[in-house]
Amino acid sequence: MTMGARARWFCGLALITACAWSAVPPTQPETLGEAIYRHGALPGGEPIRGERAAGMYVEGNTAACVNCHRRSGLGMQEGHLTIPPVAGSYLFHPRAGTIDDLDLPFVPGMRADRDPYTDASLAQAIRDGIGMGGKPLDVLMPRFKLDDAQMAALIAYLKQLSPGAVPGVTDSVLHFATIFTPDSDPVARQGVLDVLNRFFEDKNHYTRAESPRMRSSRRMMFKVNRHWELHVWQLSGAPDTWEAQLRAKLQAQPVFAVISGLGGHTWAPVQRFCEAQQLPCLFPNVDLPVDAESNFETVYFSRGVLLEAELMAHALLAMPDKATERKLVQVYRDGDVGPDAAARLRATLNGHAWHVISETIPAAASASALRATLARVGPCDALVLWLRPQDIAALGPLPADVKVVYMSGRMGGLDQAPLPTAWRHLTHMAYPFDLPEHRVVQVDYPLGWFRLRQIPVVAQQVQADTYLACIILSDTLNHMVDTFVRDYLIERIEEMLEHRILTGYYPHLALAPNQRFASKGGYLAHFAEGTGTRVVADGDWIAP
Amino acid sequence: MKLRARHIAGVALMASALVLTSVGARADEAVDGMHDSHQPRAAAVTASSVQYVTPDLTLTRQDGKQVSLLKEMDDGRPVVLNFIFTTCGSICPLMSQVFGQFQHKLGPDGAHVHLMSISIDPEEDTPPRLREYAQRFGAGPGWQHYTGTLAASQAAQRAFGVYRGDKMSHAPVTLLRMAPGQRWLRLEGFVTPDELLQNYRQLLAAK
Repeated sequence: MTMGARARWFCGLALITACAWSAVPPTQPETLGEAIYRHGALPGGEPIRGERAAGMYVEGNTAACVNCHRRSGLGMQEGHLTIPPVAGSYLFHPRAGTIDDLDLPFVPGMRADRDPYTDASLAQAIRDGIGMGGKPLDVLMPRFKLDDAQMAALIAYLKQLSPGAVPGVTDSVLHFATIFTPDSDPVARQGVLDVLNRFFEDKNHYTRAESPRMRSSRRMMFKVNRHWELHVWQLSGAPDTWEAQLRAKLQAQPVFAVISGLGGHTWAPVQRFCEAQQLPCLFPNVDLPVDAESNFETVYFSRGVLLEAELMAHALLAMPDKATERKLVQVYRDGDVGPDAAARLRATLNGHAWHVISETIPAAASASALRATLARVGPCDALVLWLRPQDIAALGPLPADVKVVYMSGRMGGLDQAPLPTAWRHLTHMAYPFDLPEHRVVQVDYPLGWFRLRQIPVVAQQVQADTYLACIILSDTLNHMVDTFVRDYLIERIEEMLEHRILTGYYPHLALAPNQRFASKGGYLAHFAEGTGTRVVADGDWIAP
Repeated sequence: MKLRARHIAGVALMASALVLTSVGARADEAVDGMHDSHQPRAAAVTASSVQYVTPDLTLTRQDGKQVSLLKEMDDGRPVVLNFIFTTCGSICPLMSQVFGQFQHKLGPDGAHVHLMSISIDPEEDTPPRLREYAQRFGAGPGWQHYTGTLAASQAAQRAFGVYRGDKMSHAPVTLLRMAPGQRWLRLEGFVTPDELLQNYRQLLAAK
């Protein structure tokens, strides 16, 4: 058991108030069992090798148990295949008549009518592919030649994967947090909170009204018993203090997961905190997500402005070849997400014939500073605006000798962007959402829900995303029955998301292991008229 | 449930559901508690002969080129087709390894067989990701990977009776066809490289 897992276990188990949660360092040395299970790695980084029929084999990362049995150890379903749970309690439980007789949370691949594995018989299964009762394991299960010490380490790891008490989950309450950074937009923040509060209220109302308290069926326990409670974690001060603030909040009030929330110019400390605490963070509203490979816990609707930069690059690189290098000028404000978006665009254009110039407007500078900057841009092949609506409205005259303008739709306000008429015929907007005419039916659903509950619509896309995040959480928990395991929550979202019919602002949502951005593409679009809000696409949906 | 989606598009056209290969678990392994033979078990594979109409779709090949599925399939070579996605950790790596071994076993014949793998997660599977994936499985020149729009990928899946509604519900299916206009041999289950080779050679002999 890792220190982190141990700390979580004790915190939930005995409600020890003096739990040393905040003392847990952000990264733990990995045990040998964990290295084998998660990375297929032996001491010294040597890869494990698993043999399959007909000379087929897997090695290293692709041979790691986690690929099929998942981080939770609770298995998964893929097509006709059911990959069984291997978390210890599902292997070592005594034989039972039915799965309802087992004192174990329900997962699809669990078996009741089997003699318990022992360390020796489990080792035989892993080495020789022979399961309890002498039956060969499925053809997909490789056979691993682990030595005794490696086998013991792996089996010890499987044993500690067993679901136990989870912080934030009691017999009657499911605790969730939502996180707001101090630099998040206060108007949108209220909009997000209104949606969350009302969703939780409705959820609890229906949960109670739905059925009497009964425990006759394991599958009913969650629906009947648990009240949803939302904790609002409002951060303050500088970003380098947020992780400590969050640890203190989590210690004071354990939660099962973080739902939605709203960020400003950075979400990185929040993502680091969630990763370190192994706490799922579901669909926070952020313009700039952290695009890091090592992230398991945080799932986003999209890559935000980073995706917008790639959409723009897609268009810029599609321009016909030119004999000389082209010039691109990016304009953004300090202290916002623009610098990161601009860096992504610059990186994507790197190695191509584009000379990229960046113009930074100080965070507190007036609109006249912006206009002065634009006035000295000079001739360029493309001008890129990473600006908010108040700057867009104050752009002033279109600089001479600019061939094309690109702007961030997310930052600029999408259809509502106050883009001056003079700019419109040259300006293309990165639009990482479904087009208005396509999404109207989809978005009508949350809008109707807001209307009925008299929730003011102050930030439509952010509030619609918040509602969608709540629905996804609710649907996923229904399918999880009473199996409250944090990793399993993420895994089930990965599996289920693509089934969704209602996808809000996005044409299609899908995740998979190692995929953390559910909507992958967007449009480039432009205003149809010199005034008004009608936006039309330049072309097809692009998944860069 | 996903069951409703498990229709086989070509089922009405299926002339015969012959089982060409039957390499299921050896009976002694399944019942014998001693089982000291350390041979990994092979899976049962069912084969059927099906007529499919290749849709005229535009896909993007791993080299970034926009290509016509029809033209790629009807380039005169026998075609071996499967559907994969690059972030799949369970069944796709096995299917792709089988393709790689099959291509290797073809030896000099390899260039005369067109292996095609179409992504069922096309928005994630960009051409660079497909190239990296192909390299991971040692794909030779005769093996191409394809992506495209979500709609194009789904249309291709539907045309070959492998569409299951979402990528996590996919099943291992391998399809072989000797020449344009001919029927496809549909292999359901985890086929081994030798079985694939055997099926290919039988079809070649019957051609």
